[in-house]
Amino acid sequence: MIDQIKTKAKELLKTKKVDIVIGYKKASDRIGAIPAFIDKEGDIDKLIWDGYCVYNLSNYLKDFPGKKIGIVTKGCDAKSMTVLLQENQLKREDIFIIGIECSGIVDEKRKGGDIAYDERCKGCKPATPPIYDVLIKEEEKKQAPRLEQDPYESVRKLETKSIEEKFKFWQDEFSRCIRCYACRQICPLCYCPRCVAEQTQPAWFSKAVSVEGNFSWNVNRAMHLAGRCIDCGECERACPVGIPLRDINKKIEKDVKELFSYEAGVDTEQKPLFSSFDKNDPEDFIK
Amino acid sequence: MSEWEPKIVGFLCNWCSYAGADLAGTSRLEYPPNIRIIRLPCSGRVNPLFILKCLSNGADGVLISGCHIGDCHYSEGNFYARRRFAVLKKLLEYLGIDPRRFQMSWVSASEGDKWARLVTELVEEIKQAGPNKDFVRKND
Ligand code: SF4
Ligand code: SF4
Ligand code: SF4
Ligand code: FES
Repeated sequence: MIDQIKTKAKELLKTKKVDIVIGYKKASDRIGAIPAFIDKEGDIDKLIWDGYCVYNLSNYLKDFPGKKIGIVTKGCDAKSMTVLLQENQLKREDIFIIGIECSGIVDEKRKGGDIAYDERCKGCKPATPPIYDVLIKEEEKKQAPRLEQDPYESVRKLETKSIEEKFKFWQDEFSRCIRCYACRQICPLCYCPRCVAEQTQPAWFSKAVSVEGNFSWNVNRAMHLAGRCIDCGECERACPVGIPLRDINKKIEKDVKELFSYEAGVDTEQKPLFSSFDKNDPEDFIK
Repeated sequence: MSEWEPKIVGFLCNWCSYAGADLAGTSRLEYPPNIRIIRLPCSGRVNPLFILKCLSNGADGVLISGCHIGDCHYSEGNFYARRRFAVLKKLLEYLGIDPRRFQMSWVSASEGDKWARLVTELVEEIKQAGPNKDFVRKND
């Protein structure tokens, strides 16, 4: 598999089809994988592919304006590219997608230990990228148990709690937020040149670590990803204090599916959720 | 408890709900004075951040009110608002905010009576929900 990736990368660079190939290379701990930005044929051998290739590389596409990019792409990463295309943040002709038929990535917290598929891979539908220019297949099928599990299990569990319990649960979680914005930086779809979190006129919420500031930031982030988040799970992985951000993202994903039959990142022609509407959208909550 | 009176912020579109509230006033309909109205061009102008700002600064309730579907002055503003706030409403509840604190309504320019009734009911509901102490600012 990695040989096929390297061959394709070499061909793309050699024929000048792309200026740079974004893929994965070994991290300094010799276990994990980090993004690799390859613009010389000589560096191609650094490329790797294994279960530690967790980063959603589509986050880096915006860093090379005007360049043609070849990019190693898992199923979930291709979905965020689909959203970027919908939102006119990318030109399809500027990227060459080296699609990987992903068989799931490893739970990073168990680095070096047993192979355990990450939560986000369970129930991941297109393990095969919805868009690609070339598809590289996994030789052995060692797929994570997909679809068997209800992807909204933990959301449903939280939904049944009382309003007080929910408030307490989330306040306990949010109280640890240090407002580092790692969740935003790692997200391929949080690309605003100036985030509202940094805005001062008006300052929409406190920048200090505070009850209201932490709450408002987290609600704001979630709302800005509504109908856009493709559940790559990177925000939750990046959060240094372990706030279960996927439980918020998935809640919105579930509601949006139920209310508007809308799913993010499946179709480049689809209009963004909040830039479209249906005349018959539900309004039983409106008086 | 009897002295506490809820504070409610209302975001009203200029063309229908604001006019409806105005009509309630000129018709001398009585309704509780707990609502502070902010006039906006359209319900589609309301950003979820407005709601967060109100709730986190101690408002006991927030109301968005616009034209009925089909009547929006800008044709489509309330369609967008309806989608956006259907999502926010569910999210806030999921995060533990009493759903009574955030509500939405369509009130036309001729529905002064509906406006008066709506505010009366809203105030009653929010009285039951009690004061919003969720976001007492601690360090700022
Ligand atoms: S919000 Fe999180 S899970 Fe969703 S796309 Fe962004 S990083 Fe991925
Ligand atoms: S949180 Fe919102 S404003 Fe900030 S970068 Fe993400 S999408 Fe943009
Ligand atoms: S990564 Fe975690 S701690 Fe940092 S701002 Fe996001 S939620 Fe808060
Ligand atoms: S003008 Fe009233 S909702 Fe748009």
